[in-house]
Amino acid sequence: MLDNILGGFASIFAVGPILGIIAGVMIGIIFGAIPGISAIMAIAIILPLTFYVDPIIGITMLLAVYKAGIYGGSISAILINTPGAAASFLTAVDGHALTKAGKAGKALDISLYSSISGEMLATLVLIFVAAPISAISLQAGPVEKVFLLLFAFTVIGSLAGESIPRGLLSCCLGMLFAMVGMSTITGASRFTFGYTELMAGFTFTPMLIGILVMPEVINTIRRRKVPHHEMAITRSPNPADNRISWKEFRSVFGTVLKSSGIGTFIGALPGLGSSTAAFIAYGEAKRTTKKPEEYGKGSVEGIAAAESANNAVCGSSLIPMLTLSIPGDDVAALLMGAFLIHGLTPGPMIFFEHPDTIYAIFAGFLITDLFLLGIAKAGFKSFVKIASLRRYYIFPCVTVFAFAGAFTAGQNMDDILVLIVFTVLGYSMRLVGLNPAVFIIGFILTPFLEQNLDQAISIVGTDYHLFFASPFSWVFIALSIFFVYSSIRMRKKAANNAADGITKNPSATTSGEAVQIPK
Amino acid sequence: MDRRKLDVVLSTILIIASLIILTDDTLVEGGAESDLGSMFLPRIAAGLIIIFSATIGIQSLRRLLKRTEIDSLERIVTDGFSGIFIYIGIFIAYWLIVPHAGFLMTTPFVMFSVALLLGGRNWVPLIALSVVTPVLVFYGSSHFLRVFLPTWTLS
Repeated sequence: MLDNILGGFASIFAVGPILGIIAGVMIGIIFGAIPGISAIMAIAIILPLTFYVDPIIGITMLLAVYKAGIYGGSISAILINTPGAAASFLTAVDGHALTKAGKAGKALDISLYSSISGEMLATLVLIFVAAPISAISLQAGPVEKVFLLLFAFTVIGSLAGESIPRGLLSCCLGMLFAMVGMSTITGASRFTFGYTELMAGFTFTPMLIGILVMPEVINTIRRRKVPHHEMAITRSPNPADNRISWKEFRSVFGTVLKSSGIGTFIGALPGLGSSTAAFIAYGEAKRTTKKPEEYGKGSVEGIAAAESANNAVCGSSLIPMLTLSIPGDDVAALLMGAFLIHGLTPGPMIFFEHPDTIYAIFAGFLITDLFLLGIAKAGFKSFVKIASLRRYYIFPCVTVFAFAGAFTAGQNMDDILVLIVFTVLGYSMRLVGLNPAVFIIGFILTPFLEQNLDQAISIVGTDYHLFFASPFSWVFIALSIFFVYSSIRMRKKAANNAADGITKNPSATTSGEAVQIPK
Repeated sequence: MDRRKLDVVLSTILIIASLIILTDDTLVEGGAESDLGSMFLPRIAAGLIIIFSATIGIQSLRRLLKRTEIDSLERIVTDGFSGIFIYIGIFIAYWLIVPHAGFLMTTPFVMFSVALLLGGRNWVPLIALSVVTPVLVFYGSSHFLRVFLPTWTLS
């Protein structure tokens, strides 16, 4: 493994990958910092640009956009109380309180250092854990893989949706759309209604941009009359308020480590994502701190906990994708699509078929943190200025990039129609509480499920009881039931807590300074 | 807008579509014989869609019939929807016109229209942005990505 890691570093230290990382970090910070544009949108828009470069450059660039985009979300959260991503909600609470107190520099600094610490730790875990897990998962045959995929569908569908039926319905719709076109197993054409254009199924990139990116543009257009918030870094006359000292960082380092661990663990579980990690880590930090009263009122430790946890998810969410072919969240699903487009099938075999490429990507993922630190620190003011551009400059460009990106996939105008149809579908799904990210995960995983199911049926023949002969099958069935049960309990508890909150403090829902969460 | 009504309509549509998938054999054409069959997984998905749609639809219908108070998740805010229709209209027009008028000719108008829709009134920077961006995208994609965006075909 050590040879592979060293080989990875040797591959990444070349002009192409380094330029890709620098470009990815800059794009990620800017897109992440613009309210209404998230890291996932940035990746989807940049994805077509990477089709024509080496996978090491292309994938590393996308991963740099991902890491920097998640961090960038904290900039708008701290400066204008508008998290670029839902995961930065808690950062907004404490960060904006510091901004109002004239300590924006301190908040931005601790957010950057904690984000990078969390990301580095999770990336190291990814590098050292992924290959051994993949060696174990190689033992799984088609029958076990079927149960593994069913487990993934159940967990992601039940945990990620607004409600369990809505999450699972989103997943099933994704599965159905994945089966349009020619079956890879039988060669039969399904749901094509005589249109030969549908024989190849829906093109992935336009569908992805339509489902995940364009609804955000539409949402911005719907809220076009909401006043624009100008971002600016307020400077305090006291220099200590404008930066974080080594002593201050050392005092919260324990929290950073613990929160990074929580984020890494949560990220490795499918379906939970960075928001859950941030909330759990923040809650744990508040529970164990000596100054719980500062939380929510400008706590440096609170920002450190939330940011290190939500950024740790970046690295660890790739663990299930690279070892089990299961994307843990929407960004991982998108990255899985990017890997597939570049001819790399995420899964245990990737460590044996493409060791040079995968370890180069890991090395790139790790050194992205150093570039993020340098670029973010050097260009805070410039990024804030660019991200403050008015939306009538930004969103016409996003529209054109989406159009060009969708066209790039197959160089035909039918893909633009796919983009339009899935834009409407993606926005409609959000309106009725269906989850577009779960839809995408269902869409991506269904071909794997069908292939493994076909092989499993061929193996067991008519002895269907053999499906349950392996202990793996029972383990995954039990895990699926456990996750659905715990999801039901979690939702009930959250509903009861909300009801208690309203009973105890009825004004909480109607007054107070609300944090704006992007929809 | 009450989302519960939409839930009932959507559930009904999805259940009908799923029933068609479960019963109509003409939805699949050709293909080799396999142990699994081409329509096995689509029909499993359709069966599950019926179950989940029915769950959502029945829950919403019950709440509608009981006239329970609408909560925040069940309310669809329709303010600003006119802008959405205009935007989708612009995009459809873009898709229809680009193959004939070309990317370079159409895109400035589309960018300018979207900027106007978003409330932009700074004419000079908007016009400059609307002209420069398509040129950069067009030449960038043809030179660096070898992607040739549609050109003028009216002559």
